[in-house]
Amino acid sequence: MAPAADTGGRLREFAAGAGLVAGRELRAIFDSPIAYIYAGVFLVLSGTTFMNAFFLEGVVDISPWFEVLPFLLIPFVPAITMRSWSEEHAQGTVELLLTLPLEPLQVVGGKYAAALLYYLVVIAGSLPIVLMLVWLGEPDLGMILAGYLGAVLLGALFLASGQFLSSLTHNQIVAFVLAAMVAFLLVFSGHPRVVEILDGLAPSWQPGTWLAESVSCLPHYQAFVSGLVGLDHLLYFVLLCAFFLWMTRIGLQRLKY
Amino acid sequence: MIAVEAVTRVFGSGAGAITAVDDVSFGVERGEVVGFVGPNGAGKSTMLKMLATYLLPTSGSISVDGYDVAEDPLEVRRRIGYLPGDTPLYADMVVEDLLRFAARAHGLRGDRLEEAVEGTVGLCGIEPVRSLRVRQCSTGFRQRVGLSIALVHDPPVLLLDEPTHGFDPLQVMAFRQQLAGLKQDRAILFSTHIIPDVEAVSDRVLIIHQGRLLGDGPLAAQAEAAGLPGAGLEELFAHLVSASGDDHGPGR
Repeated sequence: MAPAADTGGRLREFAAGAGLVAGRELRAIFDSPIAYIYAGVFLVLSGTTFMNAFFLEGVVDISPWFEVLPFLLIPFVPAITMRSWSEEHAQGTVELLLTLPLEPLQVVGGKYAAALLYYLVVIAGSLPIVLMLVWLGEPDLGMILAGYLGAVLLGALFLASGQFLSSLTHNQIVAFVLAAMVAFLLVFSGHPRVVEILDGLAPSWQPGTWLAESVSCLPHYQAFVSGLVGLDHLLYFVLLCAFFLWMTRIGLQRLKY
Repeated sequence: MIAVEAVTRVFGSGAGAITAVDDVSFGVERGEVVGFVGPNGAGKSTMLKMLATYLLPTSGSISVDGYDVAEDPLEVRRRIGYLPGDTPLYADMVVEDLLRFAARAHGLRGDRLEEAVEGTVGLCGIEPVRSLRVRQCSTGFRQRVGLSIALVHDPPVLLLDEPTHGFDPLQVMAFRQQLAGLKQDRAILFSTHIIPDVEAVSDRVLIIHQGRLLGDGPLAAQAEAAGLPGAGLEELFAHLVSASGDDHGPGR
């Protein structure tokens, strides 16, 4: 029993430290008007795609919203993560944070959890669309739920890569551009038109198909949107998130050398 | 409480490598206030960053209360109160929230947390700014807020990097009195290039220049040993630098 109790205690201690950092981060996010502006602009832009299809084409379906989401997240998520670490470096507060009795992973996890919570709140702003669909007809709620899971995982991936890239620089703009470029590559390398062009460049190698199948997040995300919650798709997002968070932790450790 | 053994810290590698701290050894015991003196770029801040576990030594060992900074950084951090140079603080945070954040990070909860926060607010004289955001505070108050973060968990070891930076003369006098009160059950190491601060409060003085420790001991004893009885720190420093053959100024 002792080792289990010890593990439980350590987990509680870890969660308390990460929660403390997450609380500070969340307060910092919601203290700034930028957070509300980002959320407002994102919801208006993403909502417009649904409303266009709804009013102009009479489509009572949330699919257009899910289809446009990856492309909207390319600039939106880096805007959330760009200040995460680069501001700590620029203001020197990283020294204050890393000399408190907190494990680097608690700090990384806490910052990530706060950004993820903010993202969830923004995504939750689209739920009125679902309520409207339920009111107007009988939508496939399972498929919608799978789509939202895909949306959460896609955002979680961009948040993890964005935080890692933010930890590499003192400059928020550089952090934003790098994170947007990575998100762009992850999305567009799976776009059918891009795949076709790349495959056309070297038909025997099929580089476009290879990139789409092994690198891009788009096929995995689209699987969720089509209602397919497969373990391989889930693992793609979870492992990549863990990889970027671990790299952020290693980056913090390297500051000591 | 603090044991530094043959510590060297090198930044970079190859031809561009800079040795910020070069084979430095010293100790600080409980009940001592030790002043760490040297010009800008002498290696004071680097030494304090290593003591605070923010940087690792390239070679040598550092322990705080028996815990090695490389092996047990969390145990070291639990025992130190650290005021970094330039006092980096979260500018958008309310002063009291920042103090509570630091206290919670040190594991304080409930009544102990409240007592620690109220006690530190009083001790550091930050009552007038406790409800303000850090960016609204004057330089002197920012420095006091930084000091309150270092003190909130009542640590046995205090590491203060240029603690009087931004203080007016009255605040400097108050700080010196405060330091005398704090030293009763603590080991205190503070860095400065303000000579009167060192002469006024230090039991011992560490003199560092271009990363090397040139002197360690009470000021009077060091002056006596250098053949300059009654000399002030300024005179002693100039003599030691000249004797070490490194009198071409800091910042290699």
